[in-house]
Amino acid sequence: MYWRVPPASTVAPVLLGLVFSMAATAQSSAANTGRVASTAWSAVGNLPNFVGVWEVARNRAGGGRPEPISLTPKYDATQKAYQASPPQDTPAANCVPPGMPGIMGQPYPIEFLFTPGKVTILIEAYMQIRHIYTDGRKHPEDPDLTYNGNSIGRWEGDTLVVDSVGFTPDTPLAAQGTRHSDKMHIVERMHLRDPNTLEITTTIDDAEALTAPFTRTATFARHSDWSMAEYICQQNNRNFVDEKGRAGINLTR
Amino acid sequence: MLLRLIQTVCVLSAVAVAVLFVATPALAHHSFTVFDSTRMVTLTGTIKEFQWTNPHTFTWIEVPSQAGVVDTWAIEGMSPNYLGRRGWTKNTLKPGDKVSIVINPLKDGSKGGTFLRCTLADGALMVMFANPPQ
Repeated sequence: MYWRVPPASTVAPVLLGLVFSMAATAQSSAANTGRVASTAWSAVGNLPNFVGVWEVARNRAGGGRPEPISLTPKYDATQKAYQASPPQDTPAANCVPPGMPGIMGQPYPIEFLFTPGKVTILIEAYMQIRHIYTDGRKHPEDPDLTYNGNSIGRWEGDTLVVDSVGFTPDTPLAAQGTRHSDKMHIVERMHLRDPNTLEITTTIDDAEALTAPFTRTATFARHSDWSMAEYICQQNNRNFVDEKGRAGINLTR
Repeated sequence: MLLRLIQTVCVLSAVAVAVLFVATPALAHHSFTVFDSTRMVTLTGTIKEFQWTNPHTFTWIEVPSQAGVVDTWAIEGMSPNYLGRRGWTKNTLKPGDKVSIVINPLKDGSKGGTFLRCTLADGALMVMFANPPQ
């Protein structure tokens, strides 16, 4: 096999096309003057202020019992098998982060950042990041399956509506052997109840694992005097759970 | 002064929050099944080491038992990220400090447990689980 040199009549247009597209790129790069454009930030400046550090407020009295999770027969059977012979601990004991939705309910703070076309959520637990694109893009046709999913958001008045897909089934849906499929779809509605109280209402549907969607609401309190800290789970992890589900703890100094 | 106030508030809410944590293990880095939540043991002795690290702080305390025998216990605590926002610092427990720690012990009988609260030499009560100050 050898490369045939194409005739000049095909090379010339290709080369010209390359030169023009490079020039076009150079043009759009020229629009990036190397200084942050205030026009890009003017829309950010009018948004409800989620920016800052928050933590789930567990001392706020909620109303009523959480909605039940209605599993399909296959996923119900998986849950029952797990509960019949549960492991002594979950992969979290080995520092594996839980993915969505659990990563939004940890007893550690989260921080919202607003930049043009994007909302970023820094999550202190396991040092996770969620990227929520608000620039109008759609989900990829066939997203890679990840722990925290692919998220796009839009503002409906003062509510940020976040739509997420593309979840690996490696992560749990909830405790006690409750699993989800790669069809899990999460819609979060985020709004300020007041400047220091953020409410997130999460609705989860899953065509394969759930017979009906379920909704949970979490309340976050603002902590203006906190800054996000490092959390390297593997720094001094003395817990473990093995492949047989046996948990242990290393007490040696 | 503020620290004492936080500690007082924390004592009152500690029981309710501790129950919340034990009841919802999915929230924690790992479950508490290795600990016997029905029993409490009080360890009175001297701090050997306090590891201020993630995912858990760890305390080694030397506890005199029978005459001449000193046992070393290893106690797991909450993350420094969590504790640091609730009145603790990396210096709250130092080698040589004389303290009394209340734990839920390990079910398997080895000398370890999960940290519930402790009384420092000056009488201050430090709790492990608490709502953060607002």
